[in-house]
Amino acid sequence: MSDYVSLSGLTLAYGNTVAVDALDLGIEKGELVTLLGPSGCGKTTTMRAIAGLITPRAGTITIDGRDVTRVPPSRRGVGLVFQSYALFPHLNVFENVAFGLRVTGGGDLEPRVRAALQTVGLSDFSGRRPAELSGGQQQRVALARSLVMEPKVLLLDEPLSNLDARLRLEMRMELQRLQRQTGVTMVFVTHDQAEALALSDRIVVMRLGKVEQIGSPEEIYARPRTPFVADFVGFEVILPQPDGDALAWRPGGVVIGAGPHEGRVLGVSFAGERREYLIESDLGRIKADAPVDEAALAIGAAVSFDLPRENAVRVSA
Amino acid sequence: MSRTVAIVVILGLTLAFLIGPFFIIIAASLSAGESLAFPPEGLSLRWVFKVFEVDSFRESFAVSMFLAVFGTLAALALGVPASYALSRYQVRGGETVRLLVSAPIIVPGIIVGLALLRYLVIPTGITIMTALFLAHTALVLPYAVRVVSASLDNLRTDIEEAAVLLGCTRFGAFYKVVLPNIRGGVLAAFILGFVTSFNQVPVSLFLSGPGVRTLPIDMIAYMEITYDPSVAALSSLLAFMSIGIVFAAEKFLGFSRYV
Repeated sequence: MSDYVSLSGLTLAYGNTVAVDALDLGIEKGELVTLLGPSGCGKTTTMRAIAGLITPRAGTITIDGRDVTRVPPSRRGVGLVFQSYALFPHLNVFENVAFGLRVTGGGDLEPRVRAALQTVGLSDFSGRRPAELSGGQQQRVALARSLVMEPKVLLLDEPLSNLDARLRLEMRMELQRLQRQTGVTMVFVTHDQAEALALSDRIVVMRLGKVEQIGSPEEIYARPRTPFVADFVGFEVILPQPDGDALAWRPGGVVIGAGPHEGRVLGVSFAGERREYLIESDLGRIKADAPVDEAALAIGAAVSFDLPRENAVRVSA
Repeated sequence: MSRTVAIVVILGLTLAFLIGPFFIIIAASLSAGESLAFPPEGLSLRWVFKVFEVDSFRESFAVSMFLAVFGTLAALALGVPASYALSRYQVRGGETVRLLVSAPIIVPGIIVGLALLRYLVIPTGITIMTALFLAHTALVLPYAVRVVSASLDNLRTDIEEAAVLLGCTRFGAFYKVVLPNIRGGVLAAFILGFVTSFNQVPVSLFLSGPGVRTLPIDMIAYMEITYDPSVAALSSLLAFMSIGIVFAAEKFLGFSRYV
């Protein structure tokens, strides 16, 4: 299997700071791959390198069988939706979307722009200026502006982070629909694991410029392989084992009320369908969830708890 | 109540102080008498018409116009790229460049004029017109850099990357995306530069020579010989020209946002 987009030994640096260290990654045609990680993990830098906005210090980037490592951004066939959309303030919606076709002299300008606007549901807004649009509408214009160029790869930089919660959910579905409809290969950058899990075919978890784990959302969610990934997807109780590995539990996997471990309640917070406890114990501070129908424990109360092996995942430290 | 009265009085006096001389000049220029005087002796437009009959006024007006238009254009041709470089790249010594470019605003014109005469015009023997052109370009450059920089700093930089990804070269992105968005600032810089150049006295005083004078210098020379109201009439016309330009600029591009 040859990858549609392939990064090999990609090293990216700003001055003396190495942001991405010898990254290898293959992406298949039509796939939606998410680069997931906290800020500073190198995910945005990687995306900018695929776009050609950063020149790698070492390594190669190929897209559709062509080595584009030294090809300027304008000739890579890559589209990028910026975090803050980067619409051209002096042009209306139609002209924003038409911009790339005018520059490259593509034919059928008008119908293609109309079609792109229709795809994102903005047909009635073509005469508006970006400043007259809501955040969600600006986002759609940015999408249409990239899609109309029929890019080989569409890169999305935290595209949902500037939207409010309800709009974010709507846009998430919209992105999935767009991807199914256009079949475009997408690379999505986010720090939000819920977004990544919901959208992706595959997730690349990054940390400090390196790949921690690559896998399907199900794999990442259920079988994290490192303590970092485990913590990132909610296995917040991580205990090192004598063999050098570690076991990790979600707070919901910790059983409160009986068990071999003793502790004291440090804090409790009500979270709707459950109560979240912080327990000071001989194993350190443990997060544990309990159903709300059980009586609440008071702060300072003694509590015993169990960490059942069957609720844990094994991660290699 | 007395507070309101005090405010009105202070405001009135301030306005009178600022605008009063302007009205005195207008009144003096409408005089029918032979010499510059206020209050005017009778009313007539004869001195206004006289302005257009004085050959040296016509010639020096042409010189001033040329300097104001082309000096400012030259300053923009240098200032826009300089502002862009200063705002977009971490140029080594960028702050020093910014400071140097602003120097003509800070250093008194008399000194600039004397220095240019002594160390540029005399040693190199360049023509008076060339010297005036270079001086006016340098004097307007600070305004060009400041006003255009302010516009650039307000413009997000990712739109240039967006343009590049949509097929533009870096220069194409500047031309198609940056320039249209700082157009207001560039126009404001042009107007400010034009007015600054046109009204410039001290530097032009040193550099003007036989046959080539800017209009303000010519007016001073004229007054030394002929003390008639035509200078007042010309001053009024120039004042109205400046007011007209700034008024139009404010109306069409919100000039005050940039200055």
